[in-house]
Amino acid sequence: MDSWVRFNAQSQAKERVIRAAQYACTLLGYTLQKGGAAAELRKTVSQLEAHMSLSRKLLRLGNSVEALEAAKRAIHLSDSVLRLCLTIGHLNRAMYFACDNVLWAGKTGLVSKLDQHKWSQRSFRYYLFALILNLTRDVYELRLLIECEARYRAARSPPSPSPTLPTDHLLSPSTPDMLAWLRRQLHLLVTVLYSNPPLLLDLLKNSCDIFIPLDRLGIYPTGQGFVGACGLASSVLSILTMVHPWLKLKP
Amino acid sequence: MDAVVKFTSQSQGRDRIFRATQYACALSIYLLRNNSERKNLVAKLKSLETNMSAGRKLFRLGNTVNSIEAAKRTMQLSDRVLCLCLTAANMNRALYFICDNVLWARSVGLIRDIDKERWSLNSSRCYFLSLVMSLARDVYVVLQLMTQRARDKHFRQKMELQLNESPEVAEAVVPHLDAFLFLLLESLKSHPAVALDTLKNICDLFIPLDRLGIYKSNAGVVGFCGLISSVIGIVTLAQPKLRLKP
Repeated sequence: MDSWVRFNAQSQAKERVIRAAQYACTLLGYTLQKGGAAAELRKTVSQLEAHMSLSRKLLRLGNSVEALEAAKRAIHLSDSVLRLCLTIGHLNRAMYFACDNVLWAGKTGLVSKLDQHKWSQRSFRYYLFALILNLTRDVYELRLLIECEARYRAARSPPSPSPTLPTDHLLSPSTPDMLAWLRRQLHLLVTVLYSNPPLLLDLLKNSCDIFIPLDRLGIYPTGQGFVGACGLASSVLSILTMVHPWLKLKP
Repeated sequence: MDAVVKFTSQSQGRDRIFRATQYACALSIYLLRNNSERKNLVAKLKSLETNMSAGRKLFRLGNTVNSIEAAKRTMQLSDRVLCLCLTAANMNRALYFICDNVLWARSVGLIRDIDKERWSLNSSRCYFLSLVMSLARDVYVVLQLMTQRARDKHFRQKMELQLNESPEVAEAVVPHLDAFLFLLLESLKSHPAVALDTLKNICDLFIPLDRLGIYKSNAGVVGFCGLISSVIGIVTLAQPKLRLKP
């Protein structure tokens, strides 16, 4: 109970729980439609989803400032790739929140005659850029860790006269060599991800999240059900990282 | 900027800002109600107020647990009067949140056949009771401070000096009242947290009093009192020293 109180006290945590509920409603709406449920029930679910979406927009009203502050902090990182990815990622997030605030003002009637579709597309574009940069950062960190692990393994095991030496590989690439190499790389990948749960969670979360703007912008339409499932999965992973702060990828 | 970010990252901080905006809208709507040129603005303010209220009801969904946890903590206080007042206030707040959650479920259409008016009145009653208990606690704390001060020798000397300075007729006739008021004001000045909490609870009290029909004021008074209490709430959250403990 005490941990719930502490969790609930964070505004971001509340927003994530509402996001999970919102995407659960999306998924539920899709299943009800497929299952041929009553129109009344489907209407209630879609109204609930719209209410949660608007309330989340209200709750996010100050987040542009937070994203800008995060970008200011990211500028001081030492690694240049991380610095670039994170700073631009946070700036894109700040722009996404700014568009989101404008959409909220339009939906509540504060700003009349707002082209909601245009602003919605704009906000999803910024969100997509931010997610692409986050994924780039994840892949970069993954590659660094894999290289580290490969070097560690090479240093640990004595050099064996196996037919998979790099020079031989380039001169005469044969299928069993390729398969063995692929298997080795896969094994490295799995080991690295297994021993770095924060990176794994962040990678999964961003991969799930990216389907949402891809669907909404029409680049890769997947349908309401898939979007709902991805949104729900990424929200649950995000709540996990908040409940266990050691699971959050730093910086 | 850093302080603003830290303030808004607390769920309570955001809620109080939204509450202040909601009551500011209510006050502005009342002030502009007869102005025919500003009908558009009044419509926008009404829409904003409704949205804020609906959003806040959603955000309050988990607060019942908070209040029950607070009640569990206050049950362990050593001072019996404080223990009684605070536990009763927290339990009533928990009941208020339960009624509020039911009203939210009704407004989104999850529950259909409940009497909205009855539940709304019940939630106002619980809120009113919790405010009365909080005020009782404030009065108790102020009385404690006053008795403490009255016993203090330095303070008594100061009071004698103050009373002898102004020998007007009215004050000479009711010396006890003058002394009492002086003691009260000095106690409140030395403990701003108590003064702010008392003022906040008094302002908040007008809202359920109007809703339950016990003391009908108008929408303007309700809006103004709500705004004052929200601003005091923001100040006490931003400056933890000004927050009354426990």
